[in-house]
Amino acid sequence: MAKLWAVAKREYLERVRSKWFVIATVLGPVLMAMMIVVPLWLAVRSATSAKASNIVILDATQSNLGDAVARSLGSGAQGDTSLARVQQVTPSELAQAESTVTREVIAKRLEGYLVLDSASVSGSKARYAGRNASTIPDMEKIERTVERAVLVTRLREAGLDAERVQELSRVNLNLQTERISDRGRGGSGAGSIAVAFGASFVLYMLIVLYGQTILRGVIDEKNNRVAEVVVASVKPESLLAGKVLGVGCVALTQLAVWIASMVLIVKYRAPILARLGAPNAPVPVPDVGFSAAVTLLAFFVLGFVLYAALFAAIGAMVSNEQDAQQAATPVTILIVMSAVFIQPVMLNPTSTMNKVISWIPFSAPILMPVRTSIIPVPWYEIVLVMLGLIVACVVCVWLAARIYRVGILMYGKRPSLVELARWIKYAR
Amino acid sequence: MAELALNIQSVVKRFAQHVAVRELSLQVPQGAVYGLLGPNGAGKTTTIRMILNIIMPDEGSIRVLGRPNTESKLLDRVGYLPEERGLYKKMQVRRLLRFLAELKGIGPREADRRIGPWLERLTLKTADKDWGLSKVDELSRGMQQKVQFIACLLHDPDVVILDEPFSGLDPINAQALKDTVIELKRRGKTILFSTHLMESAERMCDSVCIIARGEKVLDGSVAAVKSEHGIRHVAIAVSNHATDGVRALLDDTRMVKSVDDQNRFFEVELADGANPQELLRRVVALGVPIERFELIQPSLHQIFLDRVGAKGVEAGVTGHG
Repeated sequence: MAKLWAVAKREYLERVRSKWFVIATVLGPVLMAMMIVVPLWLAVRSATSAKASNIVILDATQSNLGDAVARSLGSGAQGDTSLARVQQVTPSELAQAESTVTREVIAKRLEGYLVLDSASVSGSKARYAGRNASTIPDMEKIERTVERAVLVTRLREAGLDAERVQELSRVNLNLQTERISDRGRGGSGAGSIAVAFGASFVLYMLIVLYGQTILRGVIDEKNNRVAEVVVASVKPESLLAGKVLGVGCVALTQLAVWIASMVLIVKYRAPILARLGAPNAPVPVPDVGFSAAVTLLAFFVLGFVLYAALFAAIGAMVSNEQDAQQAATPVTILIVMSAVFIQPVMLNPTSTMNKVISWIPFSAPILMPVRTSIIPVPWYEIVLVMLGLIVACVVCVWLAARIYRVGILMYGKRPSLVELARWIKYAR
Repeated sequence: MAELALNIQSVVKRFAQHVAVRELSLQVPQGAVYGLLGPNGAGKTTTIRMILNIIMPDEGSIRVLGRPNTESKLLDRVGYLPEERGLYKKMQVRRLLRFLAELKGIGPREADRRIGPWLERLTLKTADKDWGLSKVDELSRGMQQKVQFIACLLHDPDVVILDEPFSGLDPINAQALKDTVIELKRRGKTILFSTHLMESAERMCDSVCIIARGEKVLDGSVAAVKSEHGIRHVAIAVSNHATDGVRALLDDTRMVKSVDDQNRFFEVELADGANPQELLRRVVALGVPIERFELIQPSLHQIFLDRVGAKGVEAGVTGHG
């Protein structure tokens, strides 16, 4: 037992000390921060471009519509003080004036120009030309502003008090959206989906990543001939168990760092966003209960043990990395198939097929967490699936241990299935 | 009688295609330097792996220090230097040694205390460089071998098993290894090593066991093996220009069974019933200056070739296969 511990400790410390672990562990939260901050930042950025108000309004309406538009356009976003400049022109001068301001736009002194004429007064048409003509928020803002100015002008002409018109027409609607799903409506719906997707994806990634780590570790020990030195002191089963334990703890450490930094980022997002010049915005924070977290952890641990054992057995079978990739294909297919079903299960967690797939031990570690975080799954179902998973773990670990103990001292050709069966039967 | 360090009884190990070790029995007394000799593929490494419980024999029993070798913790008292050196390449030397010591039941603090002197002794730590702080793959092959050797002895084992320890060693390191083996013996440790280098075995071993094709050819103390083999060997050297005459003389199969031309001298195995004095008379009769005529004890090398060759394992090597 002390030796198993020594093996696990070595695996853990050597891997945690490695450059790659540090990079991956730091990079994870940075990526997550970007996933939270960048959309918010982009949302702010895409509101209107900074110089949306640095335009000339060519007013050929012979009225003060241009002034009204300029006034309500106001200044641009984010400290831009430039105001739209109004140039009164007659319809006959319009062509001449347009070519003059076009040159100014080309010279980058202006962002663009807006042409208002009689059609604008009747509320049917206005023209805009400029560098930001394809920036949708800018165009929407100008369109809305002209519409409102026309409306205000008409109301005033109909005899309403100017002040009152201003007051009544100031509407700034913010459409809030909410989704209705199978589970009914509720704000936490988005959060659940995020948890389901995030958790299953992270579990998948960690299992693949650290399963491969074990695979490479076993091959490495074989090729370096360290395996022989170690099994002269330790039973191969202890070496295998220590390896899985040590690498598993590395994965859990990484997971813990990621979760902790995610919590911190969500908690302290306001100062971070302020630094980037973006206003704070609510992030759907899912509330993951204690029992849900424990379930998630249990599925991760069992899933990891299952796949780690399989990858270790593969590593013991082969003598080089090329062979390893080939030999690992069946295992890789199992885990990738589970990942492929994340989305279907997420969209339809109650269908019979998706249910059955989430019960299979090889996909349960990834798909059961998806289902449990989206819909309420009866506890006995979770327990049964977990029992099935435990049985699969025991069988796979037993098989892997036998293959491992014969395989780590075998070099050369990969065993055929018949030879493999003999290994399992006559291990030692 | 003191209990045996190693007691192997009728051990058989079969692999899929062949029998690697058949009915092998050997006894190594405590405090002995024991040589396991044999050509490549004779089953030396398989035997050693079975002693270390890395693989299990199909039949027979193995006892180490009087107890079955499957007993837990028993192998903590055995040190092992495998034929193919095996170290974690990316690990720092000190950490690696600490880990390997821990696998033998030595705590990290005690391991640290022992690692320093060992590094200094094998010049891996000098005034201006401590290789113990480097990663294994930054070390030269020779230095890696030293590390492996430290790993084998760090837990101060009572039985030390060295598989082909001299392969790939330069003369200086080979000498250092020999010195260490002698020192271990002086401290009452038991050393078993396998080799196909008869000279080193002859110099160092108290007892030997020669195996070929997985079977024991002979075993016993070196002195006993030699006297049992009898003095059937004569070394003859004459001045250079006269060697052709001697060669012609040695072609007589009634006198001479085989000749090993050593360039500087001939090592002659006499035919059954031949009298060495008669051979001497004939050489004298040649009238050439004789530099050497010596009745010699057969070397282990010669015995090895005789016996293993006689079994036809390496037919052709000795010339009478």
